[in-house]
Amino acid sequence: SSSNQQVTELQTKVVPSKQILHSDNMEMEPETMETKSVTEYFSKLHMGSAVYSCTTKRKSK
Amino acid sequence: HVRYRMEASCLELALEGERLCKAGDCRAGVSFFEAAVQVGTEDLKTLSAIYSQLGNAYFYLHEYTKALEYHHHDLTLARTIGDQLGEAKASGNLGNTLKILGNYEEAIVCCQRHLDISRDLSDKVGEARALYNLGNVYHSKGKSVACAGTHDPGEFPEDVKAALRKAADYYEENLTIVTELGDRAAQGRAYGNLGNTHYLLGNFRSAVIAHEQRLLIAKEFGDRAAERRAYSNLGNAYIFLGEFETAAEYYKKTLQLARQLTDRAVEAQACYSLGNTYTLLQDYEKAIDYHLKHLAIAEELNDRIGEGRACWSLGNAYTALGNHDQALHYAEKHLDISREVGDKTGELTAKLNLSDLQMVLGLSFSTNNSMTENHIPDNGLNGTRPRAGRRHSMENMELMKLTPEKVQDWN
Repeated sequence: SSSNQQVTELQTKVVPSKQILHSDNMEMEPETMETKSVTEYFSKLHMGSAVYSCTTKRKSK
Repeated sequence: HVRYRMEASCLELALEGERLCKAGDCRAGVSFFEAAVQVGTEDLKTLSAIYSQLGNAYFYLHEYTKALEYHHHDLTLARTIGDQLGEAKASGNLGNTLKILGNYEEAIVCCQRHLDISRDLSDKVGEARALYNLGNVYHSKGKSVACAGTHDPGEFPEDVKAALRKAADYYEENLTIVTELGDRAAQGRAYGNLGNTHYLLGNFRSAVIAHEQRLLIAKEFGDRAAERRAYSNLGNAYIFLGEFETAAEYYKKTLQLARQLTDRAVEAQACYSLGNTYTLLQDYEKAIDYHLKHLAIAEELNDRIGEGRACWSLGNAYTALGNHDQALHYAEKHLDISREVGDKTGELTAKLNLSDLQMVLGLSFSTNNSMTENHIPDNGLNGTRPRAGRRHSMENMELMKLTPEKVQDWN
């Protein structure tokens, strides 16, 4: 009967196979964020001045 | 003198913020970074680093609107001071944040900028990282459309497949570089996401190959969380290859690791996957065992949606065993929960199942009589198993969809 078909179609639509199987989550890998660091910048600055003082000392000799 | 004191104070606060974030306390780190911004500095490179770290801290705290705001400040600043590497990094971070917020087109522009600058600077590490991020954006873009529909992996519309293929291409490009660089950790990440992309594209054999590589690298590093992810993903792929026994073995390993790592939510997920797998293997006793374990954890975690799913699955399994009383109990529970969480589809399914079961049990039917007449005939696959109408027919349909012959067409 047509009502029978209707129910069949309805059921097919409302119960996708997703509901049976795809609840198994896909497990993604983490994102990678780019990092900036004050410490790094600070130590570079510090190193820069150290290098500078060494070369000036050498030059002055 | 005042300026010197201010600069020093800003730097001190920022350094403390950095220390706290590195130690894993992003919430406290954020307070120090915000205090550092309040004090202020004339050193724009320091300010850029503070903005960037604030953006990342908010990202890890899942406060993406705030993350977006700070990464945007960082980008503007990096451009202003002509710091190219800084601009590349800010673009990448902004891209990742936009991706999470679902703004894929802008995310692509930002990640592409990260890639372009890295190539200009001949920065191979940056180039590889940008390629990975681009892969992730295209993967998310594809998945966002794919998961909104009711398709199976491999059966998505063409635009979804196009995005997923692009993701796969970027992961492959990334893999070429990180392999040259000998960066095993980066290879592990790329293999994992490449595997998931192949899975969605319906290339289940390729997915298995990629996840096996991911597993190998996870074991090298003793990274048990990554190892668990690989087992779970391998299980998913083997389901669609129609190799349910193998899938069950991988899900069991997932479960074992989830228990070792004391992650209850993941443990519940593994039990649910195992329940479904044993349903496909038509071992309903084992299916019930795992679904009951899933239900117990879902109740413990107050996960109502999970509980509803468990009840629905348990109803199916008990029906398959001919235990209609138990099936009725869980169908009723499924109906209550579906109503409570406003799941219209679940509610309708539960009502249909209830009407079937009530008829089988010869109970008076009260909710919707027009539906009781429409019993769908058994399609012959049930064999000697008890007949229980629609629900059972649906289950057989799912099993038919997953026969290996069908799967072969996909590959």
